[in-house]
Amino acid sequence: MNHGQQSGEAKHEDDAALTEFLASLMEYTPTIPDDLVEHYLAKSGFQCPDVRLIRLVSVATQKFVADVASDALQHCKARPAPVMKDKKQQKEKRLVLTMEDLSKALREYGVNVKHPEYFADSPSTGMDPATRDE
Amino acid sequence: MKRRRKSRVEFEVPDQSATTTTEFSFSLTRVAVSQICLSVGYRSTDSSALDTLTIITTKFLQSLAGLAASFANIANRTEANLFDIVNGLQDISLSTSDCFPGGSTLHDTESHCLIKSAVLRNLSDFVTSVSEIPFAKPLPRPEIDGSPGRNFTQTPRSPSVPAWLPPFPESIFFLERCTKETSDHLWENSDSVIGREILPVNSESESCKGRSGGILPERRARVRFKVERDSNDGESGREIEVKRKIREEPKKNESGGLIWLRTRDAIEDSC
Repeated sequence: MNHGQQSGEAKHEDDAALTEFLASLMEYTPTIPDDLVEHYLAKSGFQCPDVRLIRLVSVATQKFVADVASDALQHCKARPAPVMKDKKQQKEKRLVLTMEDLSKALREYGVNVKHPEYFADSPSTGMDPATRDE
Repeated sequence: MKRRRKSRVEFEVPDQSATTTTEFSFSLTRVAVSQICLSVGYRSTDSSALDTLTIITTKFLQSLAGLAASFANIANRTEANLFDIVNGLQDISLSTSDCFPGGSTLHDTESHCLIKSAVLRNLSDFVTSVSEIPFAKPLPRPEIDGSPGRNFTQTPRSPSVPAWLPPFPESIFFLERCTKETSDHLWENSDSVIGREILPVNSESESCKGRSGGILPERRARVRFKVERDSNDGESGREIEVKRKIREEPKKNESGGLIWLRTRDAIEDSC
């Protein structure tokens, strides 16, 4: 009896947490715009009038991309710094998203990206970092 | 892989030249993905890497949407709900264990509470912890509205028609059918009798409406008039009486509603 009451209370709390989360989605603006997500969802046969659910998909995608990018960043930071002649440049390590780091990060997420080994892809070739700026 | 590389070559074109919907949505996603990369800590990127990540993002979105839609369809629904999305997320999380840990532990199906799902809890943590980064540029409305999916829902339809039915064909098809019906119209009203006078389209469709209803839109005056042939032709004294409906009221006044037409004049007019 007591146990049933407890689980009922827990359920109530969980429900409240869920509603709170869905309500917070209404105020949260994901980086990927709603219209864009809606377009892709409609393309795959997904119909839903609820904005919160579209936001949920959008947030999940954003989390996925952010996790992949931060993993790639860890790979980038873990790599030994290329030997530079200039000491100032050596201090400011360039943080560039490269195919090499990306494919390493994506491999952990079940995506196998294979790309041709370009000469310029390798950071140890002493490429001028200024040319890589966007 | 080959396909991916090909598309990458295609998308090397700058964003302004996006003409099709696919290119436009791709360039929008690209902006969003680069914003996320910037927030993570990157300062610059290879364009090939960014394109690859963008393609993977769209694949992720579409596979999640496809999974949720299929879960909804299995449950005999056309619209997906929260349960379908969470189920889809859990399917995805099995392969991407780093991104959504705890995907193997299903939510409590007995209590039907989804927040027990570790995936959803992770997402709610993500929402509370990560500050929101709004999209960099305002979206141009007409471009998005131009997609067929939007137009489909926006066409006005009567409430008796279910939303999932395809839209009605263009009104041109109705009008065309309506004008065809006039071929079996009354002979008196056909062009050959009226003197090859071409009726405007509006009046034809009006008469058509009246016909289909069985009631004339308004009561019209009935006029008698005679057609007489010239005596020079040899066939003299033949009079044909034709009853016809007349549109113009003033003609009714002339000689008590009797109008004489000479065939020769009519022939001369037509020549």
